Amino acid sequence: MERIRRIPAQQPLSERLSFWGFALAGLVAALIFLMPVVWSLANSFKPAAEALAHPAALFSKSFSLENYRRLEGVGAGWYVYATNSVLIALGTVALTILVAVPAGYGFSKFRFPGQSALFMIVMATMMIPFQSILTPLFLILKFLKLQNSLTGLVLIYVTFQLPFSIFMMRNAFDAVPRALIEAARIDGASQATILRRIMLPIALPGVATVAMFAFLNSWNEFLAALIFLSDQNKFTLPIMLVNVSSGIYGIIDWGALQAGIAVTMLPCILLFLALQRYYVRGLTAGAVK
Amino acid sequence: MARLELRDVVKSYGIYEAVRGIDLEIEDKEFVVFVGPSGCGKSTTLRMIAGLEHITAGEIVIGGQVVNRLGPGKRDIAMVFQNYALYPHMSVRENISFCLEQQRLSKSEIASRIVRAAETLHIEELLDRRPGQLSGGQRQRVAMGRAIVRNPKVFLFDEPLSNLDAKLRVQMRTEIKRLHQILPTTTVYVTHDQVEAMTMADRVVVMKDGLIEQAGPPQVLYHRPASRFVAGFIGSPAMNFLDARLEAEADGLSVRLADGRSLPVPPGRLCAYASHAGRAVTLGLRPEALSVRQDRLGFAKLDADVELVEPLGPATMIYFTLAGAALCASIDPEAAPKAGQSLPLSVNMNQMHLFDADTGLSLLK
Repeated sequence: MERIRRIPAQQPLSERLSFWGFALAGLVAALIFLMPVVWSLANSFKPAAEALAHPAALFSKSFSLENYRRLEGVGAGWYVYATNSVLIALGTVALTILVAVPAGYGFSKFRFPGQSALFMIVMATMMIPFQSILTPLFLILKFLKLQNSLTGLVLIYVTFQLPFSIFMMRNAFDAVPRALIEAARIDGASQATILRRIMLPIALPGVATVAMFAFLNSWNEFLAALIFLSDQNKFTLPIMLVNVSSGIYGIIDWGALQAGIAVTMLPCILLFLALQRYYVRGLTAGAVK
Repeated sequence: MARLELRDVVKSYGIYEAVRGIDLEIEDKEFVVFVGPSGCGKSTTLRMIAGLEHITAGEIVIGGQVVNRLGPGKRDIAMVFQNYALYPHMSVRENISFCLEQQRLSKSEIASRIVRAAETLHIEELLDRRPGQLSGGQRQRVAMGRAIVRNPKVFLFDEPLSNLDAKLRVQMRTEIKRLHQILPTTTVYVTHDQVEAMTMADRVVVMKDGLIEQAGPPQVLYHRPASRFVAGFIGSPAMNFLDARLEAEADGLSVRLADGRSLPVPPGRLCAYASHAGRAVTLGLRPEALSVRQDRLGFAKLDADVELVEPLGPATMIYFTLAGAALCASIDPEAAPKAGQSLPLSVNMNQMHLFDADTGLSLLK
């Protein structure tokens, strides 16, 4: 705030105008991006009759939780799907971090034969379209007796999350000076201690970024969840949304759908707001010395 | 506290040999400074002693134990890095206690050692701050605190003052010397600054191209350099060098410069140089060997057309050209001429150095 107040006062008119022009353009862009979120939230609190009213109004005079109540009647109830989504997302985040952090550390700070080739191969897997290997993945999960299980789905998500996460963590560790590791080695710390007590706290923005991407991707993923899960009690929120939107007799229950969307997007927004400070720092780590 | 020995230590990176066989014995409590230009292998040698680099061949012995295969944490050494290498997310107290925690010392022992180290370095009031909140000099002190708190056998310093400004550098130089007097511990200190080397060391080791060029007390290196390289590296301003030929005369020896000028070798040096008569040599003269004209035994005369004058306070430097070489003389400020003037100078030939023109080695044995 201090900065916004001070800058126009000190600058010549042309610069002040360009500053306010920039601020206005930013505000308009922000409103455009915010609109669907606000629209969806507002609709989710409207009574069912008003959801399809013409002309459409952004806010209704009457406030109702009816749409959220109706979500409970969808399949096994929204909280079952939400719980599944939370379990899968947390499992994906935990396992991704558990593998990506040591892998990124290894690629960043150790030199071993075939290192570049191995890293290239790991990165190259990002180029494979997920849809093209659905069948072999299904067969592998079946062989491991993990089809129709949340654990199986977590493993699939982690696999697809890892290349980007390893890349991110390698960059994050690259930004940490080698002298810190050497100082810790002289201090008598083991590699595990160095990673846990020295490197990880410094590379925390990278970990936050990896965690956020893992969470968002697994939380929003639809196709794999639809294919690998067949038991209704194991479905995730995105699948629930489809079930809501293709309701009984093909009639779309817009109000319930908006309520479902609100439930689905809220954790993502909260997580992003909580981690955005780390997220930006994590993405730019290693870009400049 | 311990003796440190390097026995024919070699370090190769592929076909490139960074250190080409170093033999050195460092006595208990001795302060040894490795000095040399960039890429001479001094930092690599220090890192090998620390265990941060594997050695290709040879042995490193600390306190009678061969440590080739021991990790850095097991060598009982402490190191101060050029960029301090303080853990940025930890407070000063945590930075200093980290190594003690790795040794699994009791909390009370750790606390008392931190207090002692902080008192020694006057950093008591900084203990709860983060490294980012400290000035360069304070960070340097904390880095030293982290080193002394462990009571190591050997202290290693890797160009610890090169990130500080000139004034602070001089101050910290004195502090490190003071610290060594309070806690006499075997110390290896690496720098590219010969002034640091001269002022701090019990013994200076000059390195060049991965080899030790000369090792000895600072005064010996200054007055009896073993080679032209050492002579040029030690001393500021650097020694003046002139291409010449050592010639036998009827009454002794003389050094004939490229312009035909002849400077007589003083009687005290005749014995040492007699066998080298007729050889191409390099004459080395320190700036203080050149002074305003005085008629004394063993002093040769020459006239300088002064090109540049640099008043430093206690002495004034004058620059001129002689026999195609740029020379610098340190003279009494009272007698300082102006640029463009001619000044009669005396050369104290008792302070002359002669080096073989081909090998660069000193002709004095």
